[in-house]
Amino acid sequence: MFRLNFKITLRNLWKNKGYTLINVGGLAIGLASCMVLLLYVAYEWSYDKQSKNYADTYVVYQHQVTSSGMMSWAWTPGVLAPELSGTIPGAVMASHSSYPQPQLLSFHESYFKKAAVYGDPQFLKIMDYKFLKGNPARALREVNSVILTETLAKNLFGNEDPINKIVKLNNKEDLKVDAVIADIPKNSSIEFDYLLPWSLWERQQPFVKESGWGNNFCLTLVQLQKGENFSKADELLSHVLANHQQGATGHYSLHTLSKWHLYSEFQNGRSVGGKIDQVRIFFMLAFCILLIACVNFMNLSTARSEKRAKEVGVRKAIGSSRKSLISQFMLESVLLSVLGMVVAFVLIEISLPYFNGVLHTELVIHYSDWKFWGVFAGLTIVTGCIAGSYPAFYLSSFEPLQVLKGVKTTGSTSLSVRQVLVVFQFVFAACLIICTAVIYQQLNFIKNKSIGYNKNNLVEIPIQGSMHNEQKLILLKDQLLKSGALSDVTFFSRSISEGGNNTFDVNWQGKNPKENVLFNHRSAGYDFAKTMGSGIINGREFSPKYTDTANVIINEAAVKIMGLKNPVGTVIKFWNSPVTIIGVMKDFVMENPYSQTAPLILYHKMNEVEVVVARLNAGTNISSSMDKIKEVTERLNPGFPVDTKFVDDNFEQKFQNEKLLGTVANWFGGFAIFISCLGLLGLALYMAEQRKKEISIRKVLGASNMNIVTLLNKDFIKLVIIADLIAFPIAYLIINHWLSTYSFRVSISVLPFAIALGLSLIIAILTVSVQSVKVAKANPVDALKYE
Amino acid sequence: MITLQNIEKYYATKGLKSYILRHVSTTIQQGEFVSIMGPSGAGKSTLLNILGMLEEPTYGTYEFMGEDITSLSERKKIELYRNHIGFVFQAYHLIDEMTVAENIEAPLLYKKIAGAERKSRVADMLDRFNIVGKKDLFPNQLSGGQQQLVGIARALAAQPSIILADEPTGNLQSAQALQIMELFKKLNEEENITIIQVTHSEVNAGYGSRILHLLDGVIKEDLNVVNL
Repeated sequence: MFRLNFKITLRNLWKNKGYTLINVGGLAIGLASCMVLLLYVAYEWSYDKQSKNYADTYVVYQHQVTSSGMMSWAWTPGVLAPELSGTIPGAVMASHSSYPQPQLLSFHESYFKKAAVYGDPQFLKIMDYKFLKGNPARALREVNSVILTETLAKNLFGNEDPINKIVKLNNKEDLKVDAVIADIPKNSSIEFDYLLPWSLWERQQPFVKESGWGNNFCLTLVQLQKGENFSKADELLSHVLANHQQGATGHYSLHTLSKWHLYSEFQNGRSVGGKIDQVRIFFMLAFCILLIACVNFMNLSTARSEKRAKEVGVRKAIGSSRKSLISQFMLESVLLSVLGMVVAFVLIEISLPYFNGVLHTELVIHYSDWKFWGVFAGLTIVTGCIAGSYPAFYLSSFEPLQVLKGVKTTGSTSLSVRQVLVVFQFVFAACLIICTAVIYQQLNFIKNKSIGYNKNNLVEIPIQGSMHNEQKLILLKDQLLKSGALSDVTFFSRSISEGGNNTFDVNWQGKNPKENVLFNHRSAGYDFAKTMGSGIINGREFSPKYTDTANVIINEAAVKIMGLKNPVGTVIKFWNSPVTIIGVMKDFVMENPYSQTAPLILYHKMNEVEVVVARLNAGTNISSSMDKIKEVTERLNPGFPVDTKFVDDNFEQKFQNEKLLGTVANWFGGFAIFISCLGLLGLALYMAEQRKKEISIRKVLGASNMNIVTLLNKDFIKLVIIADLIAFPIAYLIINHWLSTYSFRVSISVLPFAIALGLSLIIAILTVSVQSVKVAKANPVDALKYE
Repeated sequence: MITLQNIEKYYATKGLKSYILRHVSTTIQQGEFVSIMGPSGAGKSTLLNILGMLEEPTYGTYEFMGEDITSLSERKKIELYRNHIGFVFQAYHLIDEMTVAENIEAPLLYKKIAGAERKSRVADMLDRFNIVGKKDLFPNQLSGGQQQLVGIARALAAQPSIILADEPTGNLQSAQALQIMELFKKLNEEENITIIQVTHSEVNAGYGSRILHLLDGVIKEDLNVVNL
């Protein structure tokens, strides 16, 4: 029985090649889209789950009450980790480590500026990194040692054994390679290329050892004993800060390491999600697209029912039960979805490199992983069953007599089911078109929003090695300007587009003592506002003509928060020493283009600056300017590769999430529309078949081809318009929800809706016309002579 | 074997009953060869469909081998199809996707007959109807007469006790029709299979043992054919 059914199924599929192609194609695209999205979701889900004890590992978060609500971050003081192992029962280990910073590592003539993390031996144990070479027990214990990751070791030493070789850090310190560990996977929140001992950091930066509970500069990880009561540990931890710091307004809490990546947003000290929202959207999108493909399949199968009806009738008359008919049709759809799976597999392999490029991920198909095959096979079977269920029940319900008599069993009811299915598909497609349009609108809006400075032709050059010297920096500025490559040069203590470096320790007259206000603080060189192309509203910039050691510049946001009427000349207290405001600068965006600008204090301390900010001379060729910068910098600071970066590029990275969402919505929206069109084509095929006789009679009576095409298209246009009308309010709710998370957002306009309406109509008409023109042009005799 | 009592069939449209069959009562014994005749619209096909359980009467009782059909479940009906009833259609109704041999084999599959037995029965049928050479062809590669032969072979393969034929020769040329009728007669006489056919042709009816004349849903005449 099974064998015969199988054979007949294959014959059927072969006989109707066009139909098989449309069906398999639709299912393949649906399955492939679903699988790629699921791979991505699984990838995001797998973050920070590489270590053995990831489930018992926690990140310590700090929550501070500020004027703008409770703020939370994973920055903690260095003294916390040693304290924890004692105070919290069940804490097996606690470690402190720095956040990654690029530093220069060299061996002979090869230089690499790679991300370095300072950590302690506990950090290694908690994160459970895989040692390829060297002794794990000795790692990170000596001050002058380093642990390399595999790739970096290969880059530095080639095929030589790296152990006990001496490398140079920042052309200054000699470090002995103690061990080599496997590369840190991309789906890890803590990423670095080499590990340095914490003790080295303490020697390099005295503040690391000296600072107490007020200075948050490192990451603290805690590993609890298996099965240890988490809430008890969390409770104990929340009192630690108050016990050590008088009048502390903040507290600590534990956040599961494996949730760090997806649930990184906090509100009032509680985790409120984060990237998980996007992952959820992708997850839903995956299944919606698959559902659309299934709907498509149902549509096409039932549309062909006329042809299958006779077979059903005969089979029933010779003794087939309904059950065996259902299983036969199910077999057919499962077989089709298996074919679809094979094609989907090829599609996935072809498209993955592209998606990895767009999503900045390392999605790969793990051929040896049974989970992948399980999901893939499961998805295929489920698709086959869902897609096959309606046609199977529908087709098997035919009454043999009616079919054999030639009565048209497919009346208006079955048609309306199909119409509902097509409407469903187009609702989804229209929603995606609208959402995509709004995402792009929002992206453009934010990109074009004034950021308070001119980022065109603005470059940053990191200050490295011996350049941390005021005299040398003045010389560098002088020579850079002389070379003609640059029109303005200044210095800054962080990258222009980076966050960090903030403090509560700012006091002014009339400040509410209970209120904590977070100020960003930076050190800036001369000509800062001029170089940035931003304006000084009041007062003046730092200038060599004055001594500016006790002077600061603040931004408009700071003026507003302090409530100053005449800011220039006002004396405020900054880190407990009085400073005078000499100027007010226009607000400009540093970290987050989506939120309000935070108050900023600029001071002039040349020993703190970390980057050269410069504007390229507008008149000159960019690459020759870059060459000149390189030449001058290398001459003054040999041994350090120059890596000049455009602020524009750095800034662009801030839109990563929105861009990704836009691209994904665009692609998968396109797929959804394409599959829906296949469904529409199926419906048009069916309609044409059904109305063949009617059309022939109309033609005999004198209807023109154009009349017929219009007649056939009219019904479909009605369906698409209905779908659009349903989609509009749904899409409105979705985009409203999405936009509400942005404090700067586009207002919802008619445009996306108009685009969706226009696009869906055009696509629908084109699809349907392919079929209706064919029918209209057919010779009426062919249809009429069979009656 | 078959007892019909007061069978009625009508369609109600806008309160008006249009009768297809009225007060049809008859008995058909095992081994009879009955031809149902009458002009178009007399209700011949409806009567045959009711006999074949493809349609249900509005009133009346129908007993098939002592069982009341009107109260039979779908499952029981399928059992009857499988074991007792063979259909032969005017338009043959072979399954286009199956070869000749597979078409003949299909009812046996539904009867869950073992593989070896199936093979031998199919071979037997092919042999008997002289279509061994055509067993791997598809229906659309055969002539009408050959297709009808396959249709009859399919009906016989399940070894039914009754064959219901709705104008089995309606689409055939007279020489082929003759062949089919000879076959029916032989089956009836040699294997004692009950045959009920609907036909327009006096000649065809002459092959049977009994003729039911229908007119406007009523049995007008019930004749025994005198074998010449």
